[in-house]
Amino acid sequence: MGYRAENLLRLFKAAAPTLLGIFGVIILALPVRLFEGAIPTPIIPLVIVFFWSIYGPNYLPALSVFLIGLLQDLLTGGPLGLWAGVYLVAQFVVMSQRSYFMGREQKVVWLGFALVAAGASVILWLVMSLMSGVLLPAGALLFQMLATVMIYPLFGVAFGELHRRVLVEV
Amino acid sequence: MEFLGQDRREGLGRKANSRFVLFLLIAVSVLLLLSSLYSAQASVFKKAREGVIDAASPVLEFFAGPIAYFNDVTGSVSDYFNVLEQNKALRQENAELRQWMEQALELRETVAAYQGLQSYAAPPQAQPIDAYVIGEANDAFARSMIVNAGRIRNVESGQAVVDEKGLVGRIVDTGAHASRVLLLTDIQSRVPVYIEGADVEGILVGKTRDDPTISFTESSAPIEVIPGQRVLTSGAGGVMPRGLPVGFVEGMAGDDILINLYTNYVRTRLVRIINYEFPAIGAGGAEEAPTPVESDGPAPAEG
Repeated sequence: MGYRAENLLRLFKAAAPTLLGIFGVIILALPVRLFEGAIPTPIIPLVIVFFWSIYGPNYLPALSVFLIGLLQDLLTGGPLGLWAGVYLVAQFVVMSQRSYFMGREQKVVWLGFALVAAGASVILWLVMSLMSGVLLPAGALLFQMLATVMIYPLFGVAFGELHRRVLVEV
Repeated sequence: MEFLGQDRREGLGRKANSRFVLFLLIAVSVLLLLSSLYSAQASVFKKAREGVIDAASPVLEFFAGPIAYFNDVTGSVSDYFNVLEQNKALRQENAELRQWMEQALELRETVAAYQGLQSYAAPPQAQPIDAYVIGEANDAFARSMIVNAGRIRNVESGQAVVDEKGLVGRIVDTGAHASRVLLLTDIQSRVPVYIEGADVEGILVGKTRDDPTISFTESSAPIEVIPGQRVLTSGAGGVMPRGLPVGFVEGMAGDDILINLYTNYVRTRLVRIINYEFPAIGAGGAEEAPTPVESDGPAPAEG
């Protein structure tokens, strides 16, 4: 492999989590209606931010997180800065607890993700309620977060394989 | 770009994701939020939204086809279990619709006779723009869709969007090739409507729930409504045409009148954007709702 190709591959590996995050946002902006809308679309970018904030914060710098969130705000038409802020706060909280999560059982990490998702829900609900001036019904948000938490083990394993076998390997 | 790779080689380079940048970006997000609180329609933000919709529309369009196929496959799984009941219900509905068809054919003849009269002037025709839904905000609080028609096809903010069942929402952002439709269930959605038979104009207000409610501009006396009454756009404000079907009265929830929408957002695929120009009425008539188009006197047909 030539020097150039090697460099390109390295760049691609370094950017992989960011690209995955952007792809997750695009899925959120597509008319995905699982089982005729009975199951809400999981918020995959939150999983990506959580996972790489624990296992490889250098692969997902804060600027990437900000851009992923901002793209989501722009595409879904919500207030600008909302999802960007939520993802960044999630990253900050997870990174501050990083030493606790490192090397733990996946069950414990899953519980950690559930807590982060709950925290994110509270921020989202509070901000949106403040901005619209009424207490919004939280059911749809909780349901969507629940769907996200339920799919976490699946994505956790997939991202773990990707991270260990493809991204970190020299 | 170069340092990204080097950083990977170092493995545990802790400085790459510094706290300072993180805090700075959180501050930027909060600032953005606060500024959008005070200027939600600021032209810079609107431009950014429209630009992003435009840039993303080829990607969304590319995926929309497979996604629609996937939705059909997953959606039909439950259909297998109640296909017999559905058949029965459809047969009954078909019989009812046939009766309606007879009535409609009769009415068509009557209307044709009236239109033959000298004094009849046709109301202005709406210019429909057909588009596919290529995007949808899968967000608990932001209810909107993205359709693949934009400024190039004369789509403008405020225009009504309907599907085969009824009103879907209205256009809020327009890119060159794609636009955003604010759904009737969004918390920001306000659409002037009236209840058929009740003769009262009101505003349909989105609540981020499945059923929006009607609030009345002048609530002097409690308004009597009967569940099942039809709700149609009133055309007040002069953007949407009068008489688009919206839904029917479902019941009361406290002081609110709950409206069951005709459209089913889970199935909305093909929509029609209604590019409608009201017949010119006296300038400055903002206080008064425009007269219904159907019964309007002779007016120059525009657009």
